[in-house]
Formats: sequence, C-alpha cells, structure tokens
Amino acid sequence: MVDRRLAWLAGIGFIWIAAILCGLIRLQVVRHAELARMAQARQETAREIAAPRGAIFDRTGQPLALSVPGKSVYINPLKVDIDAASDLLSRVFHLDRAELRARMSQARERHRGDLPVKRRITDEEQQLAARQPVGYIDVREEKQRHYPNGTLAAHLLGSVDFAENGNAGIEKALDRELRGAPGKSMVLQDVQGRPIDSRLAAEAKPGEPLTLTIDERLQYVAEREIAAAVEAHGAASGSVVAMDPNTGEVLAMASYPTYDPNLPPGPDDNPAARMDHAASVPFEPGSVFKVITLSAALETTNLQPESSIDCHGGVLRLPGRVIHDSHLGNGRLQMQEVLWKSSNVGAIEIGLRVGQENMYEYVRRFGFGQRTGIPLPAESPGRFRRLERWGKTSLASVSFGQEISVTTLQLAQAASAVANGGLLVRPRLILKKGSQAAPAGKPARILKPETAITMRRMMEGVVTNGTGSKARLAGYSVGGKTGSAQIYDYAARCYTHTYNGSFMGFAPSMNPAVVVVVTLNGTHGEAGFGGQAAAPVFKAVVSEALRILDVPKDLPEEPAKVFLAKAAVTDAPPVDSGYRQANILDDRDDDDAPGAAQPATPGPKAPNFRGMTQRAVLSEAFSKGLVVLTEGSGLASAQDPPPGAPLREGERISVVFTR
Amino acid sequence: MSRYLSFRDIDWPLLFIVLMICAVGVLQIYSATIDTGYHSAWWRQILYIACGLFLMWLALGIDYHTLTHYVPAMYIASVTALLGTALIGNTVFGSKRWIPVPGLGLRVQVSEFVKLVIILLVARYLTDLKRDELEIREMLILSGLVAIPVVLVLAQPDIGTSLTYLAVLVVGAFLAGLRWKYVAVIAVLAMLVLPVGLHFLKDYQKARLVSFMDPERDPQGTGYQLIQSRIAVGAGGMFGKGVTKGTQTQLRFLPVPHTDFIFSAFAEEWGFAGVAIVLSLYFVMIMRIVQNAQTAPDRAGMYICMGVAGLLLFHVLVNVGMVVGRMPVTGITLPFMSAGGSSIWSNFLALGLVNNVRLRRFIN
Repeated sequence: MVDRRLAWLAGIGFIWIAAILCGLIRLQVVRHAELARMAQARQETAREIAAPRGAIFDRTGQPLALSVPGKSVYINPLKVDIDAASDLLSRVFHLDRAELRARMSQARERHRGDLPVKRRITDEEQQLAARQPVGYIDVREEKQRHYPNGTLAAHLLGSVDFAENGNAGIEKALDRELRGAPGKSMVLQDVQGRPIDSRLAAEAKPGEPLTLTIDERLQYVAEREIAAAVEAHGAASGSVVAMDPNTGEVLAMASYPTYDPNLPPGPDDNPAARMDHAASVPFEPGSVFKVITLSAALETTNLQPESSIDCHGGVLRLPGRVIHDSHLGNGRLQMQEVLWKSSNVGAIEIGLRVGQENMYEYVRRFGFGQRTGIPLPAESPGRFRRLERWGKTSLASVSFGQEISVTTLQLAQAASAVANGGLLVRPRLILKKGSQAAPAGKPARILKPETAITMRRMMEGVVTNGTGSKARLAGYSVGGKTGSAQIYDYAARCYTHTYNGSFMGFAPSMNPAVVVVVTLNGTHGEAGFGGQAAAPVFKAVVSEALRILDVPKDLPEEPAKVFLAKAAVTDAPPVDSGYRQANILDDRDDDDAPGAAQPATPGPKAPNFRGMTQRAVLSEAFSKGLVVLTEGSGLASAQDPPPGAPLREGERISVVFTR
Repeated sequence: MSRYLSFRDIDWPLLFIVLMICAVGVLQIYSATIDTGYHSAWWRQILYIACGLFLMWLALGIDYHTLTHYVPAMYIASVTALLGTALIGNTVFGSKRWIPVPGLGLRVQVSEFVKLVIILLVARYLTDLKRDELEIREMLILSGLVAIPVVLVLAQPDIGTSLTYLAVLVVGAFLAGLRWKYVAVIAVLAMLVLPVGLHFLKDYQKARLVSFMDPERDPQGTGYQLIQSRIAVGAGGMFGKGVTKGTQTQLRFLPVPHTDFIFSAFAEEWGFAGVAIVLSLYFVMIMRIVQNAQTAPDRAGMYICMGVAGLLLFHVLVNVGMVVGRMPVTGITLPFMSAGGSSIWSNFLALGLVNNVRLRRFIN
C-alpha cells in the first residue's frame, strides 16, 4: 500500500521536475540569445560622445569659431518623473517649462535615455544644480561653440543651435564637414540608473577645421566702416564685399546691422540684424550697372569711349515715363563721359544701341539673376526677368540699373570680371577644408581682354574726373563706379527719395589686386548718394586691403590737386517722378559743386586740432559729435580735412600725431 | 538508549550532499551581495550552517518516539508562538513573520519551526490510527488540526509557508491510504475553493498569484520580479557568466538575489550546466530521504521521513518553478541555499529528524 502510494508520489514529483526542467531549457538554451539581448537593453544605455565641431579660421590662421570646453546638463528622461523634473530644471536652468516638458516626453516616447537639458550653463547654475536634492541632474564637460571675435563675420559664420547644429551661414552650409561624427559609448547602469562601467562602442570623429578666404583684419575694417557709414547716413543697412578679382577669394564680407552669434536669438532682436545684406538681400543697383551696359556696348556695337552720345539735354521721354539726368544741359557727351557723369539718358541711348538680346546676354554673362554659388545657405540669386517678359521700357531701365535686383556679392563678382581682364571668377569663401586646399572653380571668359582694359580706364576716369572723387587714394590709381538708386516703394508703387548708395571699384586700376563693393540701403538726400556715402567706405576698406596685401604704390603720394576742381559731378539717381505723374521735373540745384556750394554750407567745420594732445583732440571731437581717426602718438601735427574746412555729415577727420 | 547509537550510522552521503548545497549557497550569497549593504551575509550564513549542524545533532539525540509523544505540548506551544508573532512580531515588507530575540540581534521566523511540529503532528496522528486506510472523519480532524496554524500563518500574511504545511498534510494523508475517491473530492474541492479563497486575499497577493501567467501585463509592478528573474536565468545561457559576473544580479535588477531569488542569480552566473548539477544534488538528497523512509523501523519514522522529503521537495519545486516562471511568486526559500537563519535551522532540524529515524532503524 505505502509503496504503491510512494510510487504515485514519485510520479507526481517527476512530472513536476520535468516541467521545471523544460522551463529551464526553454529560458537558458532556446531563448538565451533573446533574453541576453533584453538584459543588455536594460543594463546598457548608449551615450553619445559629442564630436568636437571643426574650428573655422581666417586666411591667416586666426580663429573665427572654436569649440571650447563648457558644462552641459543631461538627464535620463526614462528615469525621472517628467512633471517634477521639468518644474525643477526649468527653475534652476531658467528654461521654458512647457518646452522642456515636451522635449522630455518626446525623448521618453522614443526610448532615449539621454537628453541634453541645457548647454553652456553658468557657474551659478552649476552650483545651484549641485545643491538640488535629486540625483538625476548630470553635468558633463563638453565642447561648445564659441566665436572669439563676437560679431566679427557673424553673417558669414552663422551660428549653431541648441544641439550644436549649424543653423545659418557657413555653420549651416558646411554643417556636415564641421560636425564630424559622434561616437558612442555603452554605459552599464544599475537598477537605479547609476553608471557602473562603460565601454567605447565607436570613437567620435572630430569635425573638419575650415580655413576661410576672409582676412580677419580687413573684415574688421569693413565692418567698422560700414557700421559707421550706416549710422552716419541714417541708412537701414549696409554691406561690403572685398574680393581678390583673380582668384575669387572673398577677403571680407560685412553686413550691418549685425549680431553676436554667441548669444541665442532673443524675441526682441532686430530681424534685419540676422540677415546677410551682402549675399541674401537683393536691391536695384542703379548707376553701378552702367558698367555692364558699357561693357556690352564695347563688344557688340562700334561705340568707343570717345564716341559721341546724344543726351537730349538730360531729359528723355520714354513711353509712360520721363528720365532725367541729375545735371541738365548734357547735350552730347562722349561715351566715357556718360560713365563719369553717370548720365542716365546717355546710358539708355547706349543700351538701346546694344539691343535687347545682347543686353540680356551680357547681364546673364556677368552672373546676374543667378546665385554665385558661394557656400552660404541663404544666398539670393537676385531678380532678372527673362527676355520674353521684358516690357517696352525694360531695355532702357536695365541699361541704367532698374528692373533688376542684385546682391553686393554679385556686383563684386561682376566688377572682378572687369578688373581681372574679362574672366568671370566665382567668389570663394573656403580656402582649405582640413589641411586640403579647396578646389577653385574654372573661370569663364565673358569679355575680351581689351574690353576689360578699356572699361578699367573709363572707370578710373569716374574717380579722377567724375562722380567717384571721394574714392581717390593717395598713391594708388582707383577705378570705380558710383550708384544711387531710388528705392521703389511697393506699397505706393513709385520710387521714393530714399536711396541705395553704392560704390563698386578696384585698385590699382591697371592691375587690380582687390575689388571692393559697398552698398548702403536707405540713405537720404544727396549725402546718401553712392559717391558721397559709399565711396568713403570703399576708400577706407580698399586702402586697408592694399596695405594688408602689400600692393606696391603706382602713383606719387600726393593726389593730383588739379583734378579737384573738375570733380564736381554728383552721381545722381535717375530722377523718376513715378509712373502716374510722369512729367514733373525735379529741378534740384547742383549744390555739390565745390566752390559755389561750400561757403554757403551752414554745416560744421573742421576744428583746428594742431598742437593738441590725443586726449584733448578726442574729448573735443566727442563734445562736437565728430568722429576722429587717430594715427601715431604725441601732438597733433596734421589733419584732413584741414581746419575750417566744411564737414559733410558723417565725414571723419583723420589726425596724425607726432612727437 | 543512546549507547546503542553510533555516529557511523548517520546518513553521511546525505549530509555530504546537503553541505555541498550549502557551500554553493554561501558562494552565491557572497557573489550576489558583494557590492551591497548585505555583503556580510555570506559569513553569517556560514555561522547559521554551523549552528544548524549543532541543532541537527540535538535533534537526533532525542528519540523520535519521545518527540512524537510530546506533540500535543509542541502543537500548543506552536499555536501560542504564532499568536505571539501576531502580537509582538516585526513587520517586514508588509508581513508580520518574525519575533525579535533580544540580545542576539536576531529575528526568529516561528512559522519555519512550526513546519517540524506539523511533520511530527501528522506522523503521530497517522501512526495512532494503526490502520491501513484513512477514514474521512479522521482526515477531517487532522485537517482541522493543521488548519489552525495554516490560518495563523496565512494571516501574517505568508502564503508560501502555509502551503508547505498543507504539503506535509497531503503527503501524509496520501501515504496513510486516503481513498482515491476522497483524494478526488479534495482535489475538486480545492479547485472550487481556490477562486473563493482568492476573494479573501489582498489585491497584491492576488496580483502576485496571477502575474506569473502573464508578467508583461504589469512589468513595473507585480510582474517585475518575474520578468527580471526570467531575464537573469535566460541571460545565463548554457554555461553562465561566471561568479560575480552576472550583470542582472550585480546591477541589482534582480530583487532579493541572496534569498528567495538566489536560484535566478545562480542560474545567471553558472548557466544551465550549474543548474543541472544543483538540481541533481537536490534530487539525490530527496531520494536519500525517501530511502530512509523506506528503511524506517516503524510507521512513525516513515511518516517523519516522508514528511521531511515532501516538505523539502515542495520547497525546491515551488522556488525553482517560481524562478523559471512556472509558479506564482509565493516567497518560499530554496532549502539550504537561501540566506537566512530560521530557514537554515529548520532545514537542519528536519535533517536531524531524518537521521534520528535512521539511527534507530535496527532498534525495536
């Protein structure tokens, strides 16, 4: 009896044992791989090792953007109470609670165990975080983006966002190269999320350093000058591009107003400050565009610089509108004088001889209406209508720079073609990627060399004999063209009396080493004309460029005084009274003529600084609201303009000090 | 009488196997607690085992007939102690199981020792019947006697331990010749009573009992231990990860890896190979005890040995079944391996009872 019952018990026991053994085999042999993976997934979290972002240097090796060590805060959103944590973290790190909470719950949905809460925390925030009685605030050392020069070249460099990804400028355009590839480490965590051990799964690949064609010194001067000019002329914005016409290397590219890419964008920032006015904001060029018209004329018609052009006394009736020159009485002018004096009627006459097809062809050849291909994400191609869509007056308008919009950068590209003997060279910003030179594009011939040489000579005449007198340099010949385009008011559908004052030029004029284009948008009155407002900026930037490039002088030091008397021509915008009231004559006095106008000027006069100390000069200048550029040290020995000379608005006085 | 006894007659193979299991347990306790606040648990376990051997020696000194003679007194003492636990016991993890022993810093789990009394009670009662068959009336009386401590332990609450009492009762009654029809009736009644009984359980207990069937339903709550345990066992694979290398154990994903879930920790670090060896040791241990039951000089001895065998088998199967995910989590220890004095001591006392019977097999 007992034995039989024992056998029964043994049987039950065996079945039980068999069931358990089956379970063990199922777990340890059959499902081993799956469960081992599950164990790993629970115990290990992947942690990204941020790759340091590639640095950006100027052409001389000065750092423009660096990755520097800083402190960042991370949390594991899988292991925190989202509501409590977002409360606490938004308070400690001054973040928006709702936004942080959304980020945390999103990371949790994606099962991400590692979320950056804030980068670049301050020491105070770090100390406050250390005092919090919670264990999940993870402060880590990390490389972070820093722009050591603040606003310098801000529009070019762009900036990075929260996660160190480029969101503007070169940072965005070359983000892939700069970013490198993040590494991965697997961190073994215990059940409370404390890291126990880690192993490297993939090494971080640092981003590639970039060397730009920019020269930090020239960039600084360009930015300083354009900022001063914009402020002095009450303009809305301004831009400068300096470019080597032979290689296309952009030496400086400034835009004003500007911003500091180290700071995140704030809600009350001026949106214009983040716009790159040199490459992204097109405008109607006005008279500077006559260079294109005349280049086309030299190649497609039998016109020569000395050919006579009938200027109809400075008034031209076209269907629907009347074009005026700023100076009446231009009867017949030589073609070169049309450029020097910037006669709109003359330019139209020349344009009509060139013809629609040729005009269109040459404007396209000079690169207008197309992006230059510079590596900036927001570059504008400008606007240039296709030939089929041209109206009756389009040819006339384009001839003196209307019905087309261009960027300062495109103008620099076009001027370079004239300066280098007729080759269209694409502007370049990247000199080297890593240690490898970035390949240069192939230049395309767009003008015959003799055309380019003739154009250069005529443009030199603009500075010596025409509207560009303020661009004259001591010791260097300069070629250029002024432009003062009325800004079209799209709301009122007419041209206003605010201007785009521009200057496009190069030096030395017979073998140009540098092309500089200056644009001021939204200047007022005659002081805002290209020859008045933009030419001095050109002069300051081009002299710095020539100094930096160490270009030998090609003229005697003193500018020839004889020309001064003749430099009485104002570059004036096409005086257009709007298409509704087509016949109103703007009979402006030519009050820019020296001699006649100067004594009557009630404006400030240059004080006599001679013999004063630098401190005294600066304090007197400050009290009178004048801008002084000082040179040397000791006592003031020379100044320009001389004492008693009238000062135009925004003009600066340079004072030389000697001991 | 003791002059007839000889230590040579102790079941040395059985003791050797038990000590091997104890050694594996100590090693696993060491490995599982190495970096925790319990890191002294392994040498305490050695002390417990040494005390256990002493208790075993005490238990085999007193003739089991004498012991069964005093069953009524022991039974009353047990019930009193269980009531005392309910009054002055320490509450740990929500259940009142321990009576503090002043001066030693120990806590004694009374219900562990009551198991032995239940074994002796069943043996005594069934021996007194002197018949080959167990009538239903007697079965009910015996069940009533066992039910009192079962209810007291259930109320602590400690389902696992109370079930072990029932296991001893069932094994005894079955061997005593309970008729098949009653076995069937009891089985059917148990099936019917189970859902009703469930009704009286607390929610967490119900959840724990049910969750082993589908632990993923509440992976962070009641299913957590089971999921972690299954992962640990599975991650061990064929040959395990090595002592102190079991990540699931070392990173403390596995709960209580030195007590109730020591088998999971062992399976992770030693793999299926190690598990098979340990289970074989348990199998041999149970078989030796059953053999001692068969060679017992009388029915009392047989019931005592079979009670011990049934108790230990029940412990092993329920604990391992729980670890593997085939049984609900009932908080039952793995004999001779799980850390803890009360469990070790009651196991060694049970071993003492087996040897007590064995030493007297030729005397009658």
